[in-house]
Amino acid sequence: MANLKDIQRQIKSVSNTQKTTRAMKLVSTAKLRRAEELAKRSRLYAAKMNQVIAEIAGRIKCNKVGGIDNRCFIKIENPKMVDIVFVTADKGLCGGFNIQTIKATKKLIAQYQEQKVKVRLRGIGKKGIEFFKYNEVELFDEVTNLSSKPDKIRSDDFIKASIEDYKDGKIDGIHIIYNGYKNMITQELHVNQVLPVDTDQFDCSQAKESILDIEAQDEEHMLDSLVSKYVEYNMYYALIDSVAAEHSARMQAMDTATNNAKEMVKGLKVKYNKARQAAITTELIEIISGVESMK
Amino acid sequence: MDKFKLEILTPNGVIFNDDIISVTLPGEEGEFGVLAHHASLSTLLEAGVVDIEKEDKSIESVLINWGVVQVDEQKVIVLVEGAVAIRGDSESAIAKSLENAKKLISDIADSGPAIASVSAKIESAAKRLL
Repeated sequence: MANLKDIQRQIKSVSNTQKTTRAMKLVSTAKLRRAEELAKRSRLYAAKMNQVIAEIAGRIKCNKVGGIDNRCFIKIENPKMVDIVFVTADKGLCGGFNIQTIKATKKLIAQYQEQKVKVRLRGIGKKGIEFFKYNEVELFDEVTNLSSKPDKIRSDDFIKASIEDYKDGKIDGIHIIYNGYKNMITQELHVNQVLPVDTDQFDCSQAKESILDIEAQDEEHMLDSLVSKYVEYNMYYALIDSVAAEHSARMQAMDTATNNAKEMVKGLKVKYNKARQAAITTELIEIISGVESMK
Repeated sequence: MDKFKLEILTPNGVIFNDDIISVTLPGEEGEFGVLAHHASLSTLLEAGVVDIEKEDKSIESVLINWGVVQVDEQKVIVLVEGAVAIRGDSESAIAKSLENAKKLISDIADSGPAIASVSAKIESAAKRLL
Protein backbone atom coordinates (compact mmCIF):
# COMPACT_ATOMS: atom_id res chain seq x y z
CA MET A 1 0.00 0.00 0.00
CA ALA A 2 1.25 3.45 -0.90
CA ASN A 3 2.59 5.21 2.07
CA LEU A 4 0.36 8.05 3.19
CA LYS A 5 3.29 10.22 4.15
CA ASP A 6 4.96 9.68 0.78
CA ILE A 7 1.89 10.83 -1.08
CA GLN A 8 1.55 13.83 1.15
CA ARG A 9 5.15 14.78 0.47
CA GLN A 10 4.57 14.42 -3.26
CA ILE A 11 1.50 16.64 -3.16
CA LYS A 12 3.45 19.29 -1.32
CA SER A 13 6.31 19.20 -3.78
CA VAL A 14 4.05 19.39 -6.81
CA SER A 15 2.09 22.30 -5.42
CA ASN A 16 5.35 24.08 -4.67
CA THR A 17 6.38 23.64 -8.29
CA GLN A 18 3.01 24.97 -9.28
CA LYS A 19 3.62 28.09 -7.23
CA THR A 20 6.92 28.64 -8.99
CA THR A 21 5.55 28.14 -12.47
CA ARG A 22 2.62 30.43 -11.75
CA ALA A 23 5.00 33.13 -10.56
CA MET A 24 7.14 32.68 -13.67
CA LYS A 25 4.08 33.00 -15.83
CA LEU A 26 3.15 36.26 -14.17
CA VAL A 27 6.66 37.61 -14.60
CA SER A 28 6.63 36.68 -18.27
CA THR A 29 3.24 38.26 -18.79
CA ALA A 30 4.49 41.52 -17.37
CA LYS A 31 7.67 41.41 -19.41
CA LEU A 32 5.78 40.41 -22.52
CA ARG A 33 3.66 43.51 -22.39
CA ARG A 34 6.70 45.75 -22.51
CA ALA A 35 8.49 43.71 -25.17
CA GLU A 36 5.37 43.50 -27.29
CA GLU A 37 4.93 47.25 -27.19
CA LEU A 38 8.51 47.78 -28.32
CA ALA A 39 8.24 45.22 -31.10
CA LYS A 40 4.98 46.69 -32.34
CA ARG A 41 6.39 50.18 -32.53
CA SER A 42 9.44 49.00 -34.43
CA ARG A 43 7.56 46.76 -36.79
CA LEU A 44 6.34 49.62 -38.96
CA TYR A 45 9.82 51.07 -39.25
CA ALA A 46 11.32 47.70 -40.12
CA ALA A 47 8.65 47.10 -42.74
CA LYS A 48 9.17 50.52 -44.33
CA MET A 49 12.92 50.10 -44.25
CA ASN A 50 12.61 46.78 -46.05
CA GLN A 51 10.19 48.33 -48.49
CA VAL A 52 12.58 51.15 -49.34
CA ILE A 53 15.45 48.72 -49.81
CA ALA A 54 13.30 46.39 -51.88
CA GLU A 55 12.20 49.21 -54.12
CA ILE A 56 15.75 50.35 -54.68
CA ALA A 57 16.86 46.79 -55.34
CA GLY A 58 14.01 46.29 -57.78
CA ARG A 59 14.84 49.42 -59.69
CA ILE A 60 18.49 48.57 -59.82
CA LYS A 61 17.65 45.18 -61.21
CA CYS A 62 15.08 46.31 -63.73
CA ASN A 63 16.47 49.61 -64.92
CA LYS A 64 20.08 48.61 -64.70
CA VAL A 65 20.90 51.94 -63.22
CA GLY A 66 23.37 53.04 -60.58
CA GLY A 67 24.58 50.49 -58.10
CA ILE A 68 24.42 47.58 -60.48
CA ASP A 69 27.93 46.62 -59.43
CA ASN A 70 27.09 46.74 -55.77
CA ARG A 71 27.47 43.27 -54.30
CA CYS A 72 24.55 43.78 -51.96
CA PHE A 73 22.02 43.85 -54.77
CA ILE A 74 23.16 41.12 -57.11
CA LYS A 75 22.44 37.46 -56.79
CA ILE A 76 25.69 35.65 -56.18
CA GLU A 77 25.80 32.61 -58.37
CA ASN A 78 28.33 30.37 -56.68
CA PRO A 79 28.54 31.29 -53.04
CA LYS A 80 31.59 29.97 -51.22
CA MET A 81 30.89 31.01 -47.70
CA VAL A 82 27.83 32.35 -45.91
CA ASP A 83 27.14 33.71 -42.45
CA ILE A 84 24.24 32.32 -40.48
CA VAL A 85 23.21 34.32 -37.45
CA PHE A 86 20.76 32.68 -35.09
CA VAL A 87 18.95 34.24 -32.15
CA THR A 88 17.91 32.08 -29.22
CA ALA A 89 17.03 32.89 -25.64
CA ASP A 90 19.53 32.97 -22.80
CA LYS A 91 17.20 30.93 -20.65
CA GLY A 92 15.17 27.82 -21.14
CA LEU A 93 11.75 26.88 -19.77
CA CYS A 94 9.98 28.32 -22.75
CA GLY A 95 8.70 25.25 -24.53
CA GLY A 96 9.84 24.65 -28.07
CA PHE A 97 10.97 28.22 -28.56
CA ASN A 98 14.71 27.58 -28.73
CA ILE A 99 14.59 24.19 -30.34
CA GLN A 100 12.59 25.52 -33.27
CA THR A 101 15.27 28.05 -34.07
CA ILE A 102 18.00 25.46 -33.61
CA LYS A 103 16.24 23.03 -35.93
CA ALA A 104 15.83 25.66 -38.63
CA THR A 105 19.49 26.59 -38.26
CA LYS A 106 20.56 22.97 -38.61
CA LYS A 107 18.40 22.58 -41.68
CA LEU A 108 19.90 25.63 -43.35
CA ILE A 109 23.43 24.52 -42.51
CA ALA A 110 22.72 21.10 -44.00
CA GLN A 111 21.33 22.72 -47.14
CA TYR A 112 24.45 24.75 -47.62
CA GLN A 113 26.76 21.88 -46.86
CA GLU A 114 25.05 19.86 -49.54
CA GLN A 115 25.96 22.55 -52.03
CA LYS A 116 29.51 22.53 -50.65
CA VAL A 117 29.18 26.00 -49.27
CA LYS A 118 31.07 26.81 -46.13
CA VAL A 119 29.00 28.13 -43.26
CA ARG A 120 30.12 30.51 -40.58
CA LEU A 121 27.80 30.19 -37.63
CA ARG A 122 27.33 33.21 -35.42
CA GLY A 123 25.24 32.67 -32.34
CA ILE A 124 23.27 34.96 -30.10
CA GLY A 125 21.83 33.56 -26.89
CA LYS A 126 23.13 30.99 -24.44
CA LYS A 127 20.77 28.17 -25.29
CA GLY A 128 21.61 27.89 -28.96
CA ILE A 129 25.31 28.34 -28.33
CA GLU A 130 25.28 25.58 -25.71
CA PHE A 131 23.46 23.27 -28.08
CA PHE A 132 25.89 23.69 -30.96
CA LYS A 133 28.89 23.48 -28.66
CA TYR A 134 27.60 20.26 -27.20
CA ASN A 135 27.13 18.85 -30.68
CA GLU A 136 30.61 19.96 -31.59
CA VAL A 137 29.52 22.35 -34.29
CA GLU A 138 32.02 25.13 -34.61
CA LEU A 139 30.78 28.62 -33.83
CA PHE A 140 32.55 31.46 -35.55
CA ASP A 141 31.32 34.06 -33.13
CA GLU A 142 29.02 34.12 -30.14
CA VAL A 143 27.45 36.61 -27.82
CA THR A 144 25.29 36.16 -24.74
CA ASN A 145 23.08 38.47 -22.70
CA LEU A 146 22.09 40.25 -25.87
CA SER A 147 18.92 38.38 -26.75
CA SER A 148 17.45 38.93 -23.30
CA LYS A 149 18.31 42.62 -23.29
CA PRO A 150 18.38 43.90 -26.86
CA ASP A 151 20.74 46.81 -27.18
CA LYS A 152 21.16 48.70 -30.42
CA ILE A 153 24.84 49.47 -29.95
CA ARG A 154 25.85 45.91 -29.09
CA SER A 155 23.73 44.46 -31.84
CA ASP A 156 25.27 46.86 -34.36
CA ASP A 157 28.75 45.91 -33.22
CA PHE A 158 27.96 42.25 -33.59
CA ILE A 159 26.54 42.37 -37.09
CA LYS A 160 29.00 44.96 -38.41
CA ALA A 161 31.70 42.32 -38.80
CA SER A 162 29.44 40.35 -41.11
CA ILE A 163 28.53 43.39 -43.18
CA GLU A 164 32.18 44.34 -43.60
CA ASP A 165 33.12 40.81 -44.62
CA TYR A 166 30.30 40.75 -47.10
CA LYS A 167 31.33 44.01 -48.66
CA ASP A 168 34.94 42.85 -48.81
CA GLY A 169 33.85 39.71 -50.60
CA LYS A 170 34.88 37.31 -47.84
CA ILE A 171 31.38 35.97 -47.48
CA ASP A 172 28.57 35.70 -50.01
CA GLY A 173 25.46 35.86 -47.91
CA ILE A 174 24.02 36.70 -44.50
CA HIS A 175 21.04 34.93 -42.99
CA ILE A 176 19.29 35.78 -39.77
CA ILE A 177 17.22 33.07 -38.09
CA TYR A 178 14.98 33.92 -35.19
CA ASN A 179 11.67 33.08 -33.68
CA GLY A 180 9.44 36.11 -33.90
CA TYR A 181 6.31 37.21 -32.16
CA LYS A 182 3.04 36.72 -33.93
CA ASN A 183 0.48 36.97 -31.18
CA MET A 184 0.07 36.00 -27.55
CA ILE A 185 -0.03 32.31 -28.30
CA THR A 186 1.93 31.84 -31.50
CA GLN A 187 5.49 32.44 -32.51
CA GLU A 188 6.60 32.63 -36.07
CA LEU A 189 9.94 31.35 -37.24
CA HIS A 190 11.80 33.70 -39.55
CA VAL A 191 14.66 32.65 -41.78
CA ASN A 192 15.66 35.88 -43.45
CA GLN A 193 18.25 36.34 -46.09
CA VAL A 194 19.34 39.89 -45.46
CA LEU A 195 22.23 40.02 -47.91
CA PRO A 196 22.29 39.93 -50.85
CA VAL A 197 18.93 41.68 -51.02
CA ASP A 198 16.55 39.24 -52.64
CA THR A 199 15.68 40.62 -56.06
CA ASP A 200 14.01 37.51 -57.46
CA GLN A 201 10.58 38.70 -56.42
CA PHE A 202 10.66 41.64 -58.81
CA ASP A 203 8.96 41.24 -62.08
CA CYS A 204 10.58 43.77 -64.34
CA SER A 205 7.74 43.77 -66.84
CA GLN A 206 5.51 45.30 -64.21
CA ALA A 207 8.04 47.73 -62.88
CA LYS A 208 7.12 51.34 -62.65
CA GLU A 209 8.60 53.40 -65.40
CA SER A 210 9.96 55.99 -63.04
CA ILE A 211 13.68 56.19 -63.02
CA LEU A 212 15.68 55.78 -59.90
CA ASP A 213 17.41 58.96 -59.04
CA ILE A 214 19.91 58.60 -56.36
CA GLU A 215 20.65 62.10 -55.42
CA ALA A 216 24.15 61.71 -54.08
CA GLN A 217 26.97 62.05 -56.56
CA ASP A 218 28.61 59.01 -55.11
CA GLU A 219 25.74 56.61 -55.08
CA GLU A 220 28.04 53.82 -53.94
CA HIS A 221 28.42 55.66 -50.68
CA MET A 222 24.70 56.15 -50.32
CA LEU A 223 23.88 52.53 -51.07
CA ASP A 224 26.63 51.34 -48.76
CA SER A 225 25.49 53.28 -45.77
CA LEU A 226 21.86 52.50 -46.47
CA VAL A 227 22.57 48.78 -46.68
CA SER A 228 24.53 48.88 -43.43
CA LYS A 229 21.66 50.59 -41.67
CA TYR A 230 19.24 48.12 -43.20
CA VAL A 231 21.14 45.06 -42.02
CA GLU A 232 21.83 46.59 -38.62
CA TYR A 233 18.20 47.42 -38.14
CA ASN A 234 17.10 43.99 -39.27
CA MET A 235 19.41 42.47 -36.70
CA TYR A 236 18.09 44.70 -33.95
CA TYR A 237 14.52 44.08 -34.95
CA ALA A 238 15.17 40.32 -34.89
CA LEU A 239 16.34 40.72 -31.30
CA ILE A 240 13.35 42.68 -30.07
CA ASP A 241 10.91 40.51 -31.93
CA SER A 242 12.60 37.45 -30.50
CA VAL A 243 12.42 38.77 -26.95
CA ALA A 244 8.68 39.33 -27.29
CA ALA A 245 8.28 35.84 -28.71
CA GLU A 246 10.41 34.37 -25.93
CA HIS A 247 8.21 35.86 -23.25
CA SER A 248 5.04 34.75 -24.97
CA ALA A 249 6.45 31.23 -25.36
CA ARG A 250 7.50 31.16 -21.73
CA MET A 251 4.18 32.48 -20.57
CA GLN A 252 2.46 29.72 -22.46
CA ALA A 253 4.85 27.02 -21.30
CA MET A 254 4.46 28.10 -17.70
CA ASP A 255 0.71 28.22 -18.05
CA THR A 256 0.71 24.65 -19.32
CA ALA A 257 3.06 23.64 -16.52
CA THR A 258 0.77 25.23 -13.92
CA ASN A 259 -2.22 23.39 -15.34
CA ASN A 260 -0.32 20.15 -15.42
CA ALA A 261 0.67 20.58 -11.81
CA LYS A 262 -2.94 21.27 -10.91
CA GLU A 263 -4.02 18.04 -12.62
CA MET A 264 -1.26 16.15 -10.89
CA VAL A 265 -2.24 17.42 -7.46
CA LYS A 266 -5.81 16.40 -8.19
CA GLY A 267 -4.72 12.87 -9.10
CA LEU A 268 -2.48 12.62 -6.09
CA LYS A 269 -5.26 13.79 -3.79
CA VAL A 270 -7.54 11.03 -5.05
CA LYS A 271 -4.75 8.55 -4.50
CA TYR A 272 -4.17 9.95 -1.02
CA ASN A 273 -7.83 9.70 -0.07
CA LYS A 274 -8.04 6.16 -1.37
CA ALA A 275 -5.01 5.17 0.66
CA ARG A 276 -6.44 6.89 3.74
CA GLN A 277 -9.75 5.08 3.39
CA ALA A 278 -7.96 1.79 2.88
CA ALA A 279 -6.02 2.42 6.05
CA ILE A 280 -9.20 3.22 7.98
CA THR A 281 -10.93 0.10 6.68
CA THR A 282 -8.00 -2.09 7.63
CA GLU A 283 -7.91 -0.53 11.06
CA LEU A 284 -11.66 -1.10 11.52
CA ILE A 285 -11.36 -4.71 10.43
CA GLU A 286 -8.53 -5.17 12.86
CA ILE A 287 -10.56 -3.70 15.73
CA ILE A 288 -13.67 -5.67 14.89
CA SER A 289 -11.82 -8.92 14.50
CA GLY A 290 -10.00 -8.18 17.76
CA VAL A 291 -13.37 -7.68 19.52
CA GLU A 292 -14.75 -10.83 17.89
CA SER A 293 -11.88 -12.92 19.14
CA MET A 294 -12.37 -11.62 22.72
CA LYS A 295 -15.92 -13.05 22.82
CA MET B 1 -1.97 74.01 -53.87
CA ASP B 2 -1.62 70.29 -54.41
CA LYS B 3 -0.83 68.27 -51.38
CA PHE B 4 0.95 65.00 -50.82
CA LYS B 5 1.52 62.55 -48.03
CA LEU B 6 4.52 62.69 -45.76
CA GLU B 7 5.50 59.93 -43.37
CA ILE B 8 8.31 60.28 -40.88
CA LEU B 9 9.13 57.07 -39.06
CA THR B 10 11.55 56.34 -36.26
CA PRO B 11 12.32 52.98 -34.66
CA ASN B 12 10.13 54.14 -31.79
CA GLY B 13 7.10 54.84 -33.90
CA VAL B 14 5.54 57.27 -36.33
CA ILE B 15 6.37 60.88 -35.67
CA PHE B 16 4.49 62.46 -38.56
CA ASN B 17 1.91 61.11 -40.97
CA ASP B 18 -0.28 63.64 -42.75
CA ASP B 19 -1.01 65.45 -45.98
CA ILE B 20 1.24 68.43 -46.48
CA ILE B 21 2.02 71.14 -49.02
CA SER B 22 5.80 71.11 -49.00
CA VAL B 23 8.75 69.80 -47.06
CA THR B 24 12.37 70.88 -46.82
CA LEU B 25 14.88 68.14 -46.08
CA PRO B 26 18.54 68.27 -45.03
CA GLY B 27 20.10 66.10 -47.72
CA GLU B 28 23.72 65.03 -47.57
CA GLU B 29 24.44 67.15 -50.60
CA GLY B 30 22.54 70.11 -49.25
CA GLU B 31 19.07 71.17 -48.34
CA PHE B 32 16.31 70.50 -50.83
CA GLY B 33 12.61 71.10 -50.97
CA VAL B 34 9.90 68.76 -52.18
CA LEU B 35 6.48 69.72 -53.53
CA ALA B 36 3.71 67.47 -54.80
CA HIS B 37 4.49 65.46 -57.97
CA HIS B 38 8.20 65.58 -57.36
CA ALA B 39 10.20 63.14 -59.47
CA SER B 40 11.10 59.97 -57.62
CA LEU B 41 14.36 60.06 -55.76
CA SER B 42 16.16 58.37 -52.91
CA THR B 43 18.86 59.96 -50.88
CA LEU B 44 20.46 60.08 -47.49
CA LEU B 45 19.77 62.79 -44.97
CA GLU B 46 22.19 64.17 -42.46
CA ALA B 47 21.57 65.64 -39.05
CA GLY B 48 19.39 68.68 -39.45
CA VAL B 49 15.91 70.08 -39.38
CA VAL B 50 13.01 68.97 -41.54
CA ASP B 51 10.63 71.87 -42.15
CA ILE B 52 7.11 70.80 -43.00
CA GLU B 53 4.53 73.19 -44.44
CA LYS B 54 1.22 71.77 -43.39
CA GLU B 55 -2.15 72.16 -45.04
CA ASP B 56 -3.04 75.12 -42.87
CA LYS B 57 0.21 76.79 -43.96
CA SER B 58 1.71 76.49 -40.51
CA ILE B 59 5.26 75.18 -40.36
CA GLU B 60 6.35 72.34 -38.18
CA SER B 61 9.99 71.50 -37.57
CA VAL B 62 11.36 68.07 -36.83
CA LEU B 63 14.95 67.53 -35.81
CA ILE B 64 16.59 64.37 -37.12
CA ASN B 65 20.02 62.82 -36.65
CA TRP B 66 20.29 60.51 -39.66
CA GLY B 67 17.85 59.41 -42.25
CA VAL B 68 16.96 58.18 -45.65
CA VAL B 69 14.22 59.62 -47.78
CA GLN B 70 12.28 58.07 -50.56
CA VAL B 71 10.33 60.47 -52.71
CA ASP B 72 7.90 59.36 -55.34
CA GLU B 73 5.10 61.09 -57.16
CA GLN B 74 2.47 60.38 -54.53
CA LYS B 75 4.27 60.40 -51.24
CA VAL B 76 7.43 60.92 -49.27
CA ILE B 77 8.72 58.43 -46.75
CA VAL B 78 11.43 59.54 -44.37
CA LEU B 79 13.10 56.93 -42.21
CA VAL B 80 15.15 58.39 -39.40
CA GLU B 81 17.07 56.97 -36.48
CA GLY B 82 16.22 59.62 -33.95
CA ALA B 83 13.84 62.51 -34.28
CA VAL B 84 12.23 65.16 -32.12
CA ALA B 85 9.30 67.22 -33.29
CA ILE B 86 9.30 70.80 -32.07
CA ARG B 87 5.69 71.21 -31.14
CA GLY B 88 3.40 71.51 -28.20
CA ASP B 89 0.17 73.10 -27.03
CA SER B 90 1.66 75.05 -24.20
CA GLU B 91 4.82 76.95 -23.55
CA SER B 92 6.14 74.27 -21.23
CA ALA B 93 5.49 71.51 -23.78
CA ILE B 94 7.39 73.46 -26.43
CA ALA B 95 10.24 74.10 -24.04
CA LYS B 96 10.33 70.40 -23.25
CA SER B 97 10.53 69.38 -26.90
CA LEU B 98 13.26 71.97 -27.39
CA GLU B 99 15.15 70.40 -24.54
CA ASN B 100 14.76 66.95 -26.05
CA ALA B 101 15.96 68.27 -29.39
CA LYS B 102 19.05 69.76 -27.76
CA LYS B 103 19.76 66.44 -26.13
CA LEU B 104 19.54 64.70 -29.50
CA ILE B 105 21.96 67.23 -30.97
CA SER B 106 24.46 66.68 -28.18
CA ASP B 107 24.27 62.93 -28.85
CA ILE B 108 25.39 63.44 -32.42
CA ALA B 109 29.08 62.79 -32.28
CA ASP B 110 30.60 65.34 -34.64
CA SER B 111 30.08 68.93 -33.67
CA GLY B 112 30.95 70.90 -36.75
CA PRO B 113 29.64 74.23 -37.93
CA ALA B 114 26.64 72.39 -39.41
CA ILE B 115 25.52 71.30 -35.96
CA ALA B 116 25.76 74.85 -34.69
CA SER B 117 23.43 76.03 -37.41
CA VAL B 118 21.06 73.19 -36.58
CA SER B 119 20.74 74.31 -32.99
CA ALA B 120 20.15 77.85 -34.16
CA LYS B 121 17.41 76.57 -36.43
CA ILE B 122 15.53 74.66 -33.78
CA GLU B 123 15.73 77.64 -31.44
CA SER B 124 14.14 79.84 -34.04
CA ALA B 125 11.53 77.18 -34.75
CA ALA B 126 10.65 77.10 -31.08
CA LYS B 127 10.50 80.90 -30.91
CA ARG B 128 8.12 80.94 -33.82
CA LEU B 129 5.73 78.76 -31.84
CA LEU B 130 5.92 80.72 -28.63
